[in-house]
Amino acid sequence: MNFFPESNSSIALEIDNLFWIITGVVGIATVITLFLFVYPMITRKKKRTKIERYMVDFTHKHRIWLYTGMFLLLMGDLYILVKEHSIWQRVEQELPEPDFKIAIVGKQWMWEIIYPGPDGKLYTDDDVSAINNLHLPVNRVIHMDLKALDVIHSVFLPQSRFKQDVLPGRTITRWIKLNKEGKFDITCAEICGLGHSMMRGNLFVESEEEWKDSMDKIYGIKK
Amino acid sequence: MTEHKKTGFLKRFFFSLDHKDIGFQYLLTAMFMAAFGGFFVYVFRYNLAFGPDDIPLYGNLAAKEYNQLVTNHGAIMIFWVGMPMVLAVLGNFLIPIMIGTDDMAFPLLNKISYWTFLLSCIVLLSGFLMPTGAFGGGWTMYPPLSVSDFGYNNPNTTFKANFFTGNTFFLMAVALEFISMLMGGINFIVTTLNKRAKGLSLMKLPIVVWMINIASLLFMFSVGPLIAGTFMLLMDILVGTGFFDAYRGGDPILWQHLFWFFGHPEVYVLLLPSLGVVGEIFSTFSRKPFFGYKMVIFLVLIAGILSLVVWAHHQFVSGIDPGAANIFSLLTIIISIPFAGMVLAYLGTLWRGDIKFTVPMMFALGMLASFTFFGGFTGLHLGSNVFDIYAHDTYFVIAHFHYTLFPSVILGGFAAIYYWYPKFSGRKLNKTLGKIHFWGTFIFFNSIFIPLFWLGLQGQHRRIFDYSNWDKLLMQPNHIMARQIATVSLIFLIITQFIFLFNFFKSLYKGKVAEKNPWKSNTLEWQASSPPGHGNFALYPAVYRWPYDYNHPDRDTDFLPQNEK
Repeated sequence: MNFFPESNSSIALEIDNLFWIITGVVGIATVITLFLFVYPMITRKKKRTKIERYMVDFTHKHRIWLYTGMFLLLMGDLYILVKEHSIWQRVEQELPEPDFKIAIVGKQWMWEIIYPGPDGKLYTDDDVSAINNLHLPVNRVIHMDLKALDVIHSVFLPQSRFKQDVLPGRTITRWIKLNKEGKFDITCAEICGLGHSMMRGNLFVESEEEWKDSMDKIYGIKK
Repeated sequence: MTEHKKTGFLKRFFFSLDHKDIGFQYLLTAMFMAAFGGFFVYVFRYNLAFGPDDIPLYGNLAAKEYNQLVTNHGAIMIFWVGMPMVLAVLGNFLIPIMIGTDDMAFPLLNKISYWTFLLSCIVLLSGFLMPTGAFGGGWTMYPPLSVSDFGYNNPNTTFKANFFTGNTFFLMAVALEFISMLMGGINFIVTTLNKRAKGLSLMKLPIVVWMINIASLLFMFSVGPLIAGTFMLLMDILVGTGFFDAYRGGDPILWQHLFWFFGHPEVYVLLLPSLGVVGEIFSTFSRKPFFGYKMVIFLVLIAGILSLVVWAHHQFVSGIDPGAANIFSLLTIIISIPFAGMVLAYLGTLWRGDIKFTVPMMFALGMLASFTFFGGFTGLHLGSNVFDIYAHDTYFVIAHFHYTLFPSVILGGFAAIYYWYPKFSGRKLNKTLGKIHFWGTFIFFNSIFIPLFWLGLQGQHRRIFDYSNWDKLLMQPNHIMARQIATVSLIFLIITQFIFLFNFFKSLYKGKVAEKNPWKSNTLEWQASSPPGHGNFALYPAVYRWPYDYNHPDRDTDFLPQNEK
């Protein structure tokens, strides 16, 4: 049984790995806690003196186990935080130089994709817009200007492990680098009204030549 | 103490100021609302597994109704089942009698609090009668969708057209519910501080009283911004202001900050009283003192303060500054430390215990186990901002928060009902039915949500009426089967609850008569008669010790009530 869907971006494997790192920390904690949970139930019939049972005062030597447990989890927490921090910086806080730039506008209930047109510059007169079908080249850094028109939507590319809410009145720029060709999904992850479940798009990741062909087709139809 | 006359049924249930009667009213109302919440979830889960046509007891489901049911299920279960169950029912029933006094500090305020709560239920449900139907924009009410279905571009902006909508009624109901719980919370804190029995210092209070008071404090600290936010949102809908309209200088994110500033402490408001119940039950049925009493209280206070500054972990990808997300991720993950200490202290109570598997003990163990192993530990996954990029708004989140709230409200609530039922009714519940009820609830609850964790990792996103658009991603045989397992388990879970209802109502009249202290417990409520009369105690008890002197080495019995020298 696979846990994650297939991945197509440079960042996807790192996010999947982080999941397993956290699961590892949690797994160790689970084993220890499970033992503390089950052992007293198994040995509950054992005869014990009242003094053994009357573990009361806060000076009891067992309190050291509380501190030890908390300290161990703190170490696990710090390990997770160190591991995640560099990924977060690269994904969300840095913008590498783009090879190509597009805009995605969420509206009820479709994705409008704005391509820069033959001049390669976004927001000029020759921009071409398409509905729901996004064609992107493989192994290129792509900038996406993400916007919404009416209510909040969320651009969710499950195979790329990419998600960003899009807000009316604001443009959020994010980058992505895809490393696998094929047809993938675009979904909306934030409830946006009646047609929320119809808000589906396709992401086509194509090799350089194929991508140029499909861009010519998109620009050509408009001309 | 004055003598009270026996009152008739109507008078007792409509006008009584007795804290026990008001607690019972809250309990019945919460059960009534839970029936709605449970029915809604049955309808939309059936749709997800077997399609929208011919749902038994409902008929055909449309996408619009699906959104309405999802929204109202969330809101009802949190605000109209969770809040009354763990805060109002437990607080009302337990606080006065556990601190050895006759009633709340402000009995009339208590009554007003209940009536406001009942009004909020009626307002919420009447949303379904509006011409446009109930509100269907998600229980978190994110604007602009909560202003109208089409954001601010809605052509119908007249006062009347906007007033008679599900949105308005939903918001008004939420605001009324907060007001009701605020009145209740004030009452709990004032009562605890002022009306304790002689000799009952704060450090001799039962842990559950501490927890309810800390929960009430947290609620009061956090709810203010949301009441303001609710008012702003109502103004946006009714008057046409633009607090959350980006095109007129507002900001939709502002609502999310106000909402989640309340939303995260709210989880602890639901969790803490339930943890208190589990603490009482662990100590009683392990026949051992509560381990690390002071430490648990301080850890809860630390966790409570931390919970006020972690709210943006609900918004890692909502468009907040990514730098801020680092801080919120750090604080969120660090909040696991006080909870680890608490859970370990609870397990310290079980250690070397003379554990007795009674029905309340089974529910308490089930509560702590499911909360820790699935609810708490997956909190680390979601607290990590990087993994949250992928998991946000998927079923992984859904499974996670159901694993925190279901144990808190339902398992903890049942533990409390089974534990204190002999006291408030004077009769005992049937033990065998109780055990069947526990195993049914526990097993089916887990088999609902474990498949949902997997579906979430597969990328199944939330609040979708129909997944057939994603045939490659989400419609493989495995996915369909996982959804069906969850739905069938849910149906069995609901059926199991009828066993409880039967047991609960039958035992009220026909159960075995309970003695004064059936569990041989130490706290003060077990010194009153079962059921306690109006005024609780024939004589105000005086307190000489903390409530957890089980197996005291100097005594022959294995328990030692608080009011014995």
